Amino acid sequence: MSDNIIETSGLTRSYGDICALKPLDLHVPEGEWLSVMGHSGSGKSTLMNLVGGLDRPSAGSLRVGGADLLALSEDGLARFRRESVGIIFQQHHMVPYLTAVENVMMAQYFHSVPDEAEARTALERVGLGHRLKNRPGELSGGEQQRVCIARAIINSPKLLLGDEPTGNLDHKSTVMVMELLKELRAEERFTIIMVTHNQEVAAWGDRTIYLDDGVLVREERMSS
Amino acid sequence: MIAVKLIPHLLSWFGIVLILLRGFPKRRSVVIATSIAGFVIGVVGAFLLLRVLTGSVGFVIITSVLGMCFLFLWGVSVAAIYSRAGRGVTTGWGVRLVSTPLCAGSVTAISGIVAGAVCSCTLPAMDSTLMNLAMLGSISGALAYVLAYAALAVEKRISHSFTVSPSGMISAVVALQLFSSSSIIRLDLFSPLSMKVMKFAHDFVHQFMESMLIPDHVFVWSYLWRYIGLLFGKEIGFWGGMFIWFTPVLLVMCAVQYERLPSVAHIRQGAERRKLLAAAIRQRRLRLVVPFIALLIFTAAAYQSCYPNVEYWDPKPIVVTATSSGEIIIPMKSDIDLEDGKLHKFLFKQGGKEARFFVLLGPAAKLTVDLDACAICKPDGYGQADGTVICYYCKTLIPLETVGKPGGCNPVPITFTEKKDGVHIDALTLINEWTNTVQSTTKGKEGGK
Amino acid sequence: MKRLLRLSGNLLTSRFTSPVVIGFFLLLYIGVAFFTEEALITQMELVRQSAVLVALLSLLPLNIASRIVAEMLRYIERRRLFSGTAADNESELFDETIVLAVSPAITGLQERLDGLGYRTYQTERSLSAWRGVSIFPARVLFLSGVFCLFLGILVSLVTRTSYRGPVIEGVALPTPSGNGGVVEQIRLEKSTGSILSKQLSMEVAPARPGDARVSCGIYPPTRYQGSFVYPRFLGVALLVQFSAPDLQKGFEKHAILNIYPAGKEAAVEIPDSPYRLMISMAESGDGSDPYMTGRMNFTCKLLKGNEMLFAGNVPGGGEFVRDGFRLAFPDFRRMVITDFIRDYGVLFVWSAAILFGASFLFWLPVRLFFPLRQMLFIRHGTDMIRACSRTEGKEKMHGGVFNETLDMFDAGRVERKTNLG
Repeated sequence: MSDNIIETSGLTRSYGDICALKPLDLHVPEGEWLSVMGHSGSGKSTLMNLVGGLDRPSAGSLRVGGADLLALSEDGLARFRRESVGIIFQQHHMVPYLTAVENVMMAQYFHSVPDEAEARTALERVGLGHRLKNRPGELSGGEQQRVCIARAIINSPKLLLGDEPTGNLDHKSTVMVMELLKELRAEERFTIIMVTHNQEVAAWGDRTIYLDDGVLVREERMSS
Repeated sequence: MIAVKLIPHLLSWFGIVLILLRGFPKRRSVVIATSIAGFVIGVVGAFLLLRVLTGSVGFVIITSVLGMCFLFLWGVSVAAIYSRAGRGVTTGWGVRLVSTPLCAGSVTAISGIVAGAVCSCTLPAMDSTLMNLAMLGSISGALAYVLAYAALAVEKRISHSFTVSPSGMISAVVALQLFSSSSIIRLDLFSPLSMKVMKFAHDFVHQFMESMLIPDHVFVWSYLWRYIGLLFGKEIGFWGGMFIWFTPVLLVMCAVQYERLPSVAHIRQGAERRKLLAAAIRQRRLRLVVPFIALLIFTAAAYQSCYPNVEYWDPKPIVVTATSSGEIIIPMKSDIDLEDGKLHKFLFKQGGKEARFFVLLGPAAKLTVDLDACAICKPDGYGQADGTVICYYCKTLIPLETVGKPGGCNPVPITFTEKKDGVHIDALTLINEWTNTVQSTTKGKEGGK
Repeated sequence: MKRLLRLSGNLLTSRFTSPVVIGFFLLLYIGVAFFTEEALITQMELVRQSAVLVALLSLLPLNIASRIVAEMLRYIERRRLFSGTAADNESELFDETIVLAVSPAITGLQERLDGLGYRTYQTERSLSAWRGVSIFPARVLFLSGVFCLFLGILVSLVTRTSYRGPVIEGVALPTPSGNGGVVEQIRLEKSTGSILSKQLSMEVAPARPGDARVSCGIYPPTRYQGSFVYPRFLGVALLVQFSAPDLQKGFEKHAILNIYPAGKEAAVEIPDSPYRLMISMAESGDGSDPYMTGRMNFTCKLLKGNEMLFAGNVPGGGEFVRDGFRLAFPDFRRMVITDFIRDYGVLFVWSAAILFGASFLFWLPVRLFFPLRQMLFIRHGTDMIRACSRTEGKEKMHGGVFNETLDMFDAGRVERKTNLG
């Protein structure tokens, strides 16, 4: 059995005449931190959407965690997303009138069984044990992103996807978030795929791939 | 016509087999075999029963069996809720019993027999010759075979995650049996149930007040007594009947809803725990579907019972007068034929008082004259249908054989003489009987203890 | 013998005994209802006359009493476990029990649970945490209510005796023993109560020297010489004198007439004659209640067979004379038809009502707002921990805390959390 959590072969995504992602063969071993870099429109987000089950490919094969995403029904795909994938966006997409702990509990509703104690623990793990009852507006950008991380890991995903998660953060907060992700990955052993423009952020990963116009043009392995 | 009449009963039976197949997933062959055999036995057995036993005895037996099925559902539902609500109540032996082939076979066979018997009650008059019996057996067997395998085919297409608890299965089966029987007025359970509840409420309130030494209406504010009087009306019978009718299936739903979720303390990952609990909750919700359908079927059965699709023969009373000697004489044959086996209603008025009565030729070719009222209900009168008369107030069916006998909800019989020129009734006796009956029943229903 | 004893013990303490017995009596009722219109009364009579049914019915209070004892023992055992003084056989006492192969880190845990609103108690080998109030008192009250209810029904069915007699002013109270005191006065007054519209009092003089005077009212019924005095109907004790031209001898009788309220008729048969009197109390002109005021007029009809000879009003103490007929009421007194009921079961049923009320009043707020949630962590050696949990409400919340605590044990994160907090 393969140790790769992601295996793509000829993975393609077209929007009409526009081919956002050209046939791509990619293998991501379980537990790896993969950074995806490229210019705007290079296909980074398309790749992340496909891998996260948010979009369906036009051609090729795509297996994530042993599941053939092309073969899954809409219900199956939804189950895959809620049980296997955690996503952190640049925009935090938090409900402004809910507290930090309630925002994390929102993600638990995907399993219909909210658990406040568990949400609280998740926030404590990201260092926000003292900010449980604060609303997003009362938190700094870095703290908000940490709530998003707690929300992303609450369902113990196999795969954590980050779409420019530090794009809006200053240097100090960026480092704090990256350190946190590193620490959590060591504990939870999930795989991270992080799309970024920032070379410094990409350097936190084990490997970086570069996309240009939907084609994988370069691959770089980081020294530990 | 008979085929149209049979459709709801056959559909009910189809539903019963479908539910039983899903309820006993490992005993499909047993369910199929016993359900077909049970159905045939039920059809042929009831056919014989209704023709061998005279009068309404056959119907009483079948109704009693239906009543026992309903009581069984009550027992199952109470056991189900008790085992869910009580800590330390173990019902493992019950679960093991349900999964045995013997249990599957007996439940299915009984369900089949009852369904077959109910179907048989809609069959037209036929002699119980060997030829007819053989024909009936073959046709019912063929029908049962086709429907059972159709149910099997449907059941195989239903998702495996759609499970049914034993109590849910029983509730749906009994609901379908009662739905089927409620369309036949002589097998209807809901109306007699309401009647019995009305009587029980009356007795219970009376007994309770006596036992607790609660003062009589002489000492209690009349507005307050009017509320107590509500407990003596037919509404309490209806609502009490509704309560008894729906409670078992509601208890089954509660038992499913409050099933204890599996212990997840051994799992050390929150998401896994929630996933397991969510799956258990989903299973629980799916198990609620069958009892919910049963609830709808019970509602349909109660509706069918309250508004039966039966036209009662209820002629407008003909006004009659008395002779100078105080006798009412109704000729045997005039515009109406007293001996045609139909209910003939008359109205007699004298000195500001009036009395309604009817004349009927019973199945034993004997005439009877009765008040259009009974000794216990308000005088709403009677209608006639399908070998019975029905009391409009409490919906009790009185078999024609017993019309003319006093007691219970039977019409109050009136003394009369049968002569060549017709039926002779003493006008004063009639008026007095009516006045006494109506006075006592009206008082009884309006709050006297 | 031993087996029989064990079987009896199981029968008494089983949770199934009461529902099964109740179910049996329900079925019996349904069976009886098939044969008679008076099903309830018939069933009560059946039970009274059958020792087997009485024994079966007595299983109910016995079963409930044994349940109370069993549940109390369990409660005490659980309390001992929580105080760290009981042996380690707790699995049946909790909803969830789990053994974890982890290194116990109880110090940090206690602080954490304190922070979550749990009160904690730590011994050398265990840590117990609880929150809220136990509904056990409500449970005991409820079971005691059920016990009293069934005991009351049993006692009432088996021992109730009832004797009906007229209580008349100036006459001794007609008790079953026949030695009641004289009724000095019967008073009926209007009441301003929310339930009763009238107040009745029957003043009874001491039956023997040294006895107290007793005033018997309506509700709650007064007890007199061991019996409840249960007034049923009001009426008049009337001395009726009647003579007719064709009657050789006059007729005189103390008639007990159930003729309240005014207008209600009662018959007085004149023996060995075709005459019959129909007597009722006449309405007073001013709208007052003649029974209350004592100013009574009687409306009388004289019937000969079915034929009414005449009708008229006769004042209490007065007479009516016409065509050789004479009707007089020289004496009239207030009268109350009263049941003397000896039934101790009633006391139990009243107690049951009070216990049910108290139980509900305790249960509702506790169950809604402060249900008990308990956890117990017991150290087994250096690398094992046994964790137990039990709730009486708010299961989800408590389950989360319990599981989270176990997660922390598992990850050895108790101390780390303390740092973070």
